[in-house]
Amino acid sequence: MDIQLIDLSRFRYGVSNVINYRCIMKILILLVSCGGLLFGQTEPLIDIMHVNPRVFVLQNATVHIEPGNTISNASIAMRDGIIEQVGSRISVPKDATIIDLQGAQIYAGFIDGWFEVKTKEVKQTARSHWIDLVHPEWVASDYYSPDTKVVNDLRSLGFTQIHAVPDDGIFRGQSSVIDLDDDNSIAVPVVSQVLDFKNRAWGSRDYPGSLLGTIAVMRQTLYDADWYGRSQAIYAKHPDKNESIKANLALKVLAKAQADKTPFIIKTGQEAAALRAMDIAREFGLKLWLLGSGFEYRRLSEISKEKPFIILPVNFPGKPDISKPFRANQYTTDQLKHWDLAPDNARKLVAAGVQIGFTTKGLKKREQFRKNLSAAVRRGLSEDAALAGLTTAPAKQFGLSKTHGKIKPGYQASLVVVEGNYFDDSNPVRSVWIRGNKYDVEPAADLLLPGKWDFSLKGLTGHLEFKGKPSKLSGALIFEKTTLVLKHLNLDGNRVSWSVELDTNNIAGVSRFTGILANDILRGTVVQANDDEFSWTATNFILFPTDEPEIIEDSASDLVVVYPEGAYGLEQIPDQPHSVFINDATIWTSGPKGILKGWDMLVVDGKIKQIAQHIKPPKNNPVVIDGRGKFITAGLIDCHSHSAAASINEGAQSVTAEVRIQDVLDPDDINIYRELAGGLTTINILHGSANTIGGQNAVIKLRWGSNAKGLILKQAPQGIKFALGENVKQSNWGDDFKTRYPQTRMGVEQILRDAFTRARDYQNNWQVYHKTSKWRKTLVPPRKDLELDALVEVLAGERLVHCHSYRQDEILMLSRVAEDFGFTIGTFQHVLEGYKVAERIAEHGAGASTFTDWWAYKFEVYDAIPYNGTLMQDAGVLVSFNSDSGELARRMNLEAAKGVKYGGMSEIDALNTVTINPAKQLKIDNWVGSLEEGKDADFVVWTGHPLSTQTICEQTWIDGLQYFSHKKDAALLARDKALRSKLIQKILLTEDRGNTPLEPPPPLDESDHNCLAHDDVLWEEGLK
Amino acid sequence: MRTIIITLLIAFSMIFASDQIPAPAQKKPILIQNGTLHTVSQGVLEQTDILFDKGIITRMAKSIDPGPEMVVIDAHGKHIYPGLIASISTLGLVEVSAVRATVDYNEVGGNTPEVRANASYNPDSELIPITRSNGVLFVNTTPSGGVITGQSSLMAMDGWTWEDATANHPTALHINWPNMRINPNPDFKTSVKDQEANRLKALKELDVLIDRVRHYQTMMDNSPNKRPHDVAHDLRLEAMIPYVNGEKPFFVHAFDARQIEAAVLWSIKQDLKIVIVGGWDAWRVTQILVDNQIPVIVEGILRLPRRRNSDYREAYALPARLHEAGVSFCISTAGNAFQAPHVRDLPNHAAMAAAFGLPLDVALRSITLSAAEILGVADRIGSLDVGKEASLFIADGDILEITSHVEQAFIFGSTTDMNDRHKTLYRKYQKKYRQLGILK
Repeated sequence: MDIQLIDLSRFRYGVSNVINYRCIMKILILLVSCGGLLFGQTEPLIDIMHVNPRVFVLQNATVHIEPGNTISNASIAMRDGIIEQVGSRISVPKDATIIDLQGAQIYAGFIDGWFEVKTKEVKQTARSHWIDLVHPEWVASDYYSPDTKVVNDLRSLGFTQIHAVPDDGIFRGQSSVIDLDDDNSIAVPVVSQVLDFKNRAWGSRDYPGSLLGTIAVMRQTLYDADWYGRSQAIYAKHPDKNESIKANLALKVLAKAQADKTPFIIKTGQEAAALRAMDIAREFGLKLWLLGSGFEYRRLSEISKEKPFIILPVNFPGKPDISKPFRANQYTTDQLKHWDLAPDNARKLVAAGVQIGFTTKGLKKREQFRKNLSAAVRRGLSEDAALAGLTTAPAKQFGLSKTHGKIKPGYQASLVVVEGNYFDDSNPVRSVWIRGNKYDVEPAADLLLPGKWDFSLKGLTGHLEFKGKPSKLSGALIFEKTTLVLKHLNLDGNRVSWSVELDTNNIAGVSRFTGILANDILRGTVVQANDDEFSWTATNFILFPTDEPEIIEDSASDLVVVYPEGAYGLEQIPDQPHSVFINDATIWTSGPKGILKGWDMLVVDGKIKQIAQHIKPPKNNPVVIDGRGKFITAGLIDCHSHSAAASINEGAQSVTAEVRIQDVLDPDDINIYRELAGGLTTINILHGSANTIGGQNAVIKLRWGSNAKGLILKQAPQGIKFALGENVKQSNWGDDFKTRYPQTRMGVEQILRDAFTRARDYQNNWQVYHKTSKWRKTLVPPRKDLELDALVEVLAGERLVHCHSYRQDEILMLSRVAEDFGFTIGTFQHVLEGYKVAERIAEHGAGASTFTDWWAYKFEVYDAIPYNGTLMQDAGVLVSFNSDSGELARRMNLEAAKGVKYGGMSEIDALNTVTINPAKQLKIDNWVGSLEEGKDADFVVWTGHPLSTQTICEQTWIDGLQYFSHKKDAALLARDKALRSKLIQKILLTEDRGNTPLEPPPPLDESDHNCLAHDDVLWEEGLK
Repeated sequence: MRTIIITLLIAFSMIFASDQIPAPAQKKPILIQNGTLHTVSQGVLEQTDILFDKGIITRMAKSIDPGPEMVVIDAHGKHIYPGLIASISTLGLVEVSAVRATVDYNEVGGNTPEVRANASYNPDSELIPITRSNGVLFVNTTPSGGVITGQSSLMAMDGWTWEDATANHPTALHINWPNMRINPNPDFKTSVKDQEANRLKALKELDVLIDRVRHYQTMMDNSPNKRPHDVAHDLRLEAMIPYVNGEKPFFVHAFDARQIEAAVLWSIKQDLKIVIVGGWDAWRVTQILVDNQIPVIVEGILRLPRRRNSDYREAYALPARLHEAGVSFCISTAGNAFQAPHVRDLPNHAAMAAAFGLPLDVALRSITLSAAEILGVADRIGSLDVGKEASLFIADGDILEITSHVEQAFIFGSTTDMNDRHKTLYRKYQKKYRQLGILK
């Protein structure tokens, strides 16, 4: 055990002179490292009994009992780590050491809400989960090994406890609250289950390789845990009727966590992750906490609906480097805005009623914590709310509300002593008390203070000066004519030493000085170069005035948050006008009425009410569009898109039917806005084509400004992406990818047959299980399998298959496999050799959604021809043209024109390939795809003939609401330009505060991919 | 009178019987009557005849008398255009980009000025007939990869051999300008200071190379050539001499404004002739381009804006902005290998630029005469003018509209086989559905 002498005289406030002799003796042998044998400690005594007296009274301080309750001139009496009395008048115990803290403020000890503990590589055992990122059984405190520097850093910020979490994994394990004393006492062994949306890097051969997969892993594992818990119970009762269940510690622990209502804390890196976490928590009824991202203000209304406890980092972005205009261009508008808005995030969350805690997580330099928190307070976060976030809020959430977070009798004596208000970061933290033990933050700070002494050495007189902080002290000896800088200046306990080239007594060379401070006199000896010794003294200390702390003007940002944040975001989604009236337009209905010249259209409440030659305009102030010279079409539909999704391919397994695009929708994708500007209104977001059975798709409307859920076209039937050919057999992935089944088109067929056979067996098992009620009591239930559930829905015809395909053999094959299993393919996607087997596709009843003219980018598309669409259509197939590219999706009307060019489609048929045909393929044609009475008012106003290259989209409407127009676009551009220049001015005029700036994204065009983005190119880039 | 009057329909049916045979040299004068001539150089001439012989346009006038031995084509209601020119492509150097064995555009070595595109241009590539089927009759085939990528060659879209097909060589020496972007993130593996230093170093290396070429030339020109070791040739430096001397241009591939500015400054300092290729940020730096008369080959109009906060029209409206600022430019499809099979979409790129502010006639010029000027062949191709090569085509509509079709092309007067892989397969499978009774 480490015994350390503590000289309390160093403490700036001094020890009251009431200390009696016995007390001094006790203090001199105060054991800080370990307070002797604690009650309840089990270790044997090593030598003889050590006693650590922990009876103190702290006097004359301002005591923050709890947020909102402060007493000035108060005292705290503590004994053996527990607070006994608090108040302005307490009875001082006779055995107490009294410490006068005049001028200080005392807070309950702070809790760092997220502290990552390095877990070690653990070998998979028989009871481990099959995914090595799933280890909910790990406990953070088992891996905690304190780093003195980190502990000191945390204490110097006032932290007395950490909420320790394992540092890696999807189910990372369990968190613990650990005291920051030298015992590392564990305050709460298990607090929560810690989850992270972590996935392996692109191209990893281990599942999951994407955010899609990670969310599926979270969901499946939670279902598995539930199953495991129930099944083990049944097995325990009926071991004679069931096979034993493979032991799985992860599932066991999770089942218990769910049963015990243990909180699940999910790490988020952005506001979208918070919404995703809330979705998962809702599905499983989890008690949700979040590690915040700092971006919560961007989706405040969604987050404040559910109000999860959020542990907030305060890693505000530093100043973007905008000194050079071209470099400034690299930053997106939302990044520039975040620089200004981030410090207001906590205040906004508090105002919205969300309970928050704080963490130093994410800070490059921990000392930024107070600077940033103080900035938040200056900008309007109340001190009470800030203090609650450091004390009572985490204490309550972590189950410590009766022992921690407040300064009250019976609470732990965990305290922070600050030389003033904590939320003014110029007031240093003097010490923290943890369980009655005091830890000085800057020990020995006062031996040498910045100031000036009169110096004398053997008749030589001058001045001795010290400057700077104790840790970074510099000094000089100043004589009439010379100033000598002290070298090797060192403070060791209460002894100071330095060397200096001092030419005294004609002895040239380096003289070495040592000295001690006693009775306000610094005195010591100097050893000259010739080894002669003399004594020196320094007296009459004058303290240098400390620099006036820089007063930082700071006020809350006046920027308005827009949706999505950044360029082109909307302050709010405009209200739907009651009615919209278009007169005298050329209307391409894509419906039975065909093309109508000079007709009117009336929209009421978001639906098309009437299309007729002459409609009497409604009286109630309709929005009027003068259609003269304009062409109106239905909103365009893209049957194959990868826009508006944060993750596209879960390619680590050949069958990943469990992953869902709906989990990863990205309503902030700028492509939504750009596609609107091209007249697109509905897109089918498909999983990529990296594997045979990919994930579940999502059909959305491009409702720019809404959140992820608001994008979804609710009436659209569910679907799933399949893929065949080169991508799924990894033909173009390089030589490292030659082992995953399938490597041939033969294998692709068998993967499909196997998957559907498994699905059929699974379905059968459930049916049998449900048939007999007796079995439900005695038999272990089948396991709910998200992958097979999706395939069962395919078998039942409830889930549309959209299959990426190129060669005729595989198209034919899939049609036969589907028929063997009794279902019909929804669409063949790309289907570039569809023209070779069009009669088969028609007979099978699938749609064909193809590129117009892409070819020759890989071998299986060498026979692709632009006549494909026409030829298939001529053979009776329902054909749509798709983009598979955010770029192409901006001009789908011109893609349709290629139908006319190649093979001579009629103009109506050509436009239908991007309107009603894809709507039919997606089975949403009851609502969208054509301009017909009763359908959704999704339409486009074109400047001319919709198939002409010289026509541009002027307005785009969805649900009777204008989402894009040239006029609005110009206004948004102007707004954003003004905003950027205002922000850049502000950034230029603001001092740098030491935070780390955000990284600007690379230019979008450099990361842009065409239709191969989610096939070969993305993969190859990911692999390299 | 032995005038042969053929209709385009008949011409087609004959052509489809064969497998894209390179055309023989023009043997008889060809007179195309009554078409709308989009001359590019002198506006649109309605109802005008055009006559060409031995590969050269000899007359353009109303009602030219069909002489004996002339092939006369009635182009009433049709449009005649000079062959379109794609200024940057790997066409002929790649068949299927994902199949490595078919990829020939990227030589290793970082700096490979010695390689020339035409020598490995595959005249039997299936991509070539596809390209000319949409009126693109010339492609400047360009090596890519590394810093100095090699020399490009202007290829005509027909010919038995690469030598037949070479319309002009070399066009230019290509340089991928070093990245000038700075990542200011302190966590980035290279500090801003080091990035700035690396940037300077990369630029310095180019200067060193140019100096070395000049030293090499001085040495070779003045070598006494008396002792056995006086002469040692360096193919790399040798290849660069005409470019360093300013006889031929460097085509500098530069996209970011900082790259463009740096490339222009380099050309001034080194007294070189350059053309900017790519030029996506060129609208930000038009003044320096105008002042120094540096043309831009805009690569791809049908692409995404560069940044999240960019105007959604950024790429579409770029040519209009260059035009307004007085920068000379042409439009090309993007030069990457993925785009090689899609050079046929060249007119769609120009059309989009026109929809977003570029005058229609300038849009057409940007894929014909402007391209020819920048590629240094405007005296031969790029417009319909007497004395120029008869590389032109007949279309049934405005070539800037997607729905138009190219019916017949002529390259240096030769009547081009208009069949291609796509039409062949189309016809083949039409037959299938006729056999099945699905199609009539």
